[in-house]
Amino acid sequence: MSSPKMIFRHTRAGIFIHWFNAACWFFLLFTGLALIQNPELNPLGAGYPNAVRAVFGGGANLLVAHWLVALIWLAVWVGYFFWGLSRFVAPFLHDTFTLEPNRDIQWMIKKNLQMILGYKMMAKLVKPLGYDGQMPPQEYYNAGQKVAAQGIIIGALVLVGTGFIMLFSKYFFTAADVWLVQWSITVHFIAAGVTTALLMVHIYMAAISKDERPAFISMFTGTVPAEYAKHHHQLWYEELEEK
Amino acid sequence: MAKQLGMVIDAGLCIDCKGCMAACKVANEVPGDNWRNWIKSGDMDLRAQKRGRMVFQPGNCMQCDKPTCVSACPTGATYKSKSDGVVVIDRGLCIGCGQCIKACPYGARYRNDKLKVADKCDFCASRRAVGLEPACVSTCPTKARVFGDLNDPANPAGKLMAANKAKATQVVNAQSNTDPNLYYLGEAGLKSWPVKAQMPGAFEFWKNLADPAVKVVVGLSGLGVLAMLGKQLMLKNDAPPPEEHGEEGGHE
Ligand code: SF4
Ligand code: SF4
Repeated sequence: MSSPKMIFRHTRAGIFIHWFNAACWFFLLFTGLALIQNPELNPLGAGYPNAVRAVFGGGANLLVAHWLVALIWLAVWVGYFFWGLSRFVAPFLHDTFTLEPNRDIQWMIKKNLQMILGYKMMAKLVKPLGYDGQMPPQEYYNAGQKVAAQGIIIGALVLVGTGFIMLFSKYFFTAADVWLVQWSITVHFIAAGVTTALLMVHIYMAAISKDERPAFISMFTGTVPAEYAKHHHQLWYEELEEK
Repeated sequence: MAKQLGMVIDAGLCIDCKGCMAACKVANEVPGDNWRNWIKSGDMDLRAQKRGRMVFQPGNCMQCDKPTCVSACPTGATYKSKSDGVVVIDRGLCIGCGQCIKACPYGARYRNDKLKVADKCDFCASRRAVGLEPACVSTCPTKARVFGDLNDPANPAGKLMAANKAKATQVVNAQSNTDPNLYYLGEAGLKSWPVKAQMPGAFEFWKNLADPAVKVVVGLSGLGVLAMLGKQLMLKNDAPPPEEHGEEGGHE
């Protein structure tokens, strides 16, 4: 194979927002974890918040840094949202939130089995039960990507909402409103935990697993090999062919 | 022994003039309805009192050794200072969630109406920084409040403590003994007022349910990723079934 036929998958704006998002998310996760300091909670032990606070010159600075990056992150997203609403955002939301129950559930089960067992084992073990070695064809996003994207979008909205409540507490709230702040901390933590769990799988799939290596590379180059598209996102590929 | 600032108070000397409360409000710019210190008095039942007179009990944050306010703070904005034992609030780090306020058995904390963060007595940190005593101590006309390092017999409070170790009493709620560093000499007056420390529901939910649940979810995700990684490393040449893969559409 000299140079395989490449097809266009990601715009530059999409690639930018992806990596910008990734960088902010990392920063917010690790500063956020360091903002929790209570012997009964400390998710990473007491040493972690102390070390990060030392780097930032105290917990108060750490809190300001967390807020600042969160606000910049949000501002860029709001800008991207309105700027690219019809071109990228609406199609993305449409694609990720439309599930085809039959196809997508089947894909999820098979893919998970395959990831755990490997193709060969999978074929050996499940073939007698009628497994034909094939995944249901997928659209631009596969079912796993869709579910992860949904979780992360909802998680992000919850994080933004509860984050603002905590931020506003110091400026607008009265003593009667603090229950809202208290629950916001707890819910913020839960949303961060759930999105982290999803993102760990996302990072594995993209950056480490061999199957999705072309997709990872496309997050830099914007293109995927036609072969890859045909096998991993068959419905999308066919749609492109028809055009 | 480590330094522990505290107060030894002779409630018998207090005449309920409320000078300490006014001096504190001015010295610490405590807004409107917020108060850092208090004087508790029982019912005006003269027959119930031994000497036929009311005992007034001056108080403020007790800079406890086992502070429930610190246990309730998620960010560590409230902490017990290692250098002098005072329980301090880092206003920059405080997010004003008010969990500590609920958790104090003495109601010693309030949400500062102006700053909108948790606030309380810090033994006049700003006055101590320039070598002064807390405002309430300087003001008290009968010298009912004696302030200093309780563990150092060379200063007035430490000396009183050393002399009255057995007799000095702490005012505590038996269900949440925070081991306060305000000691009362002689008749301490009303003792039943501290409440049981209350952890806010959101905090309890976090600690007991959300924290373990999130750890399980993230842990499972991590294990899953590790398992997949292990599989990938072990089954080096595990390839998808050639050619038949993804052919359902039958377009080839
Ligand atoms: S009196 Fe209340 S606010 Fe002060 S240290 Fe004790 S528990 Fe905390
Ligand atoms: S209000 Fe109290 S519990 Fe909440 S962050 Fe501030 S000091 Fe901590």
